[in-house]
Amino acid sequence: MGLKKKLYKVSVLILYQLLAIVILVLPLYLPVYQMLITALRPADLPWLSPASLFPEQVTLNNFNLAFRLVPRLPRYLLNSFIYGVGVAVVSLLIAIPSGYALARFRFRLREPLLMFILYANMFAPIMLLVPIYVIMRMFGLINTYFSVILSGATFTIPFSTWLTVSYMQTIPKELEEAALVDGCSYYSLIPRVLLPAISPALVAIFIYAFVTGWSQQFILALVLIKSDELMPITQGLYQFFSRSSVQWNELMAAILLSTLIPVVLFVSVQKYITKGLTAGALKD
Amino acid sequence: MKVLSRKSVTPYVLLVPLLVALGTLMVYPLYKVVENSFYEASFLAPFQREYVGLDNFRWLFSFKLFDPRWSYFVSALGRTLLWVTGSVAIKVIIGLLGALLLNNRLLAGKKFYRTLVIIPWAIPWAVGAMMWAWTFNSQFGIINSVLLRLHLVREPVPFLSQPTSAFLATMVVDVWAGLPFMFIMLLSGLQTIPETLYEAASIDGAGVGTRLFKITLPLLRPILLTVSLLSLIWTFNSFDIIWILTGGGPLRATETLPLAIYKTSFLYLRFGGIGKASAMTIAQVTLVTLLAVSYIRLLKRGSEQSWG
Repeated sequence: MGLKKKLYKVSVLILYQLLAIVILVLPLYLPVYQMLITALRPADLPWLSPASLFPEQVTLNNFNLAFRLVPRLPRYLLNSFIYGVGVAVVSLLIAIPSGYALARFRFRLREPLLMFILYANMFAPIMLLVPIYVIMRMFGLINTYFSVILSGATFTIPFSTWLTVSYMQTIPKELEEAALVDGCSYYSLIPRVLLPAISPALVAIFIYAFVTGWSQQFILALVLIKSDELMPITQGLYQFFSRSSVQWNELMAAILLSTLIPVVLFVSVQKYITKGLTAGALKD
Repeated sequence: MKVLSRKSVTPYVLLVPLLVALGTLMVYPLYKVVENSFYEASFLAPFQREYVGLDNFRWLFSFKLFDPRWSYFVSALGRTLLWVTGSVAIKVIIGLLGALLLNNRLLAGKKFYRTLVIIPWAIPWAVGAMMWAWTFNSQFGIINSVLLRLHLVREPVPFLSQPTSAFLATMVVDVWAGLPFMFIMLLSGLQTIPETLYEAASIDGAGVGTRLFKITLPLLRPILLTVSLLSLIWTFNSFDIIWILTGGGPLRATETLPLAIYKTSFLYLRFGGIGKASAMTIAQVTLVTLLAVSYIRLLKRGSEQSWG
């Protein structure tokens, strides 16, 4: 009886691991695995048919070659970082005061504005691409960091503001009221009382906007950025992808290098991401 | 300056940055889209434009390209609806299965898997699409390699250069891009269902199926609806993935509305142009608005107290 029970337990354990692999790992990691084996396989090794499912030989030389294929790789990464930080900073600068106004004051336009912010969150660059391009050209901002940061932030501001409002509604007003009694103005209590109190939300917003700015600027950059020096990593790599003969080993090595940094960053701040996103989209 | 510190004025002052930012880069552009849709204009001659009334909207239904049955716009719209519905349906189904698994006490290493499903989110979708393009490669990709080894196909399948398979392949990649969000949101939804409900049901002798259909799914319904609507909206706007994988081809098989808008604005300068692209954009905005209205209604019903 004891053995039977143990066997049953082990088979349940294995069954669930198999399910996890089929449902969770396979659909998400198939391309990652393909990228890994290609990045690690020597570039001069002849291809087999059918292609091998794991590298017969492993080399790190592709990473050297990646820098030869994509000499500006570090620059693209730096640019993406600038876009990420830029979008995050602009989002925060706008979300904090407007979130404060919408969470703590009662005024006539409050409800319509909240609605508008929810609605604005549904907009995507593709809908406004031509006017954004024309406006940026009007201000002479084509081919500058500003064009992508400002237009990118436009699409992260609504959710950032929404997150600030939701978070502020969960914290008590007493501290702010005490500060007002002590002679603080509505404005001066923002840095003294408000910001420390909502710091978890600020972290969540920063991460959300940074990741969006880092990774989802492809279409904006496609239209707004012309010179190689200002391209984000997505567009930089795309240049080598859209060539007629792609050097796959080198390209996959470059992709591996470029995803390493955000992945490490992501894993280390993971709990904030989950918390921030679920709080903003579902409201608890 | 004293006026600015009054309680009735303060919120408006605080909202100035938001209003300026969204006004210049969202509301004004949206107004420009509406305005442009009444004009004939293109990047060929940026400073010339001509008022054409509703011609651009008529063009949506009259202009045909390759396909004699449907107009360019109608075929793109139909394709978009099919692509979006299919993609979101798969995302929700796999997302739900995955979330149920991640919430199951019988799964060992839950923490590990929960981290694992978030990581792909850090990969830009554009970069993910390049990885997938290589995975789908007919000669060197592992998908074909596995199919050949299992003798499921005789010849390698050129997934991205045949209309039907390219349509499905772009959907697969879009599912990949949306799954982390699904897993996390639905998991957090499952975690709000109190454990005591399941315990009580167990005592009453309810089996796995009864618990799933009588407790889990009914209680998850609001979140499931919200997340599906959000996903529908985002999928409607999806551009990067298709653009990188197929560019809308082969034979326009993957040309959804966002790609058609982009091409009509920036590439098809002779028969397209800004005016026609704007008319298409209005269709896109209208569809998204309909979805957004349902989403906002859903949210309002879900949390009345936070709106008071």
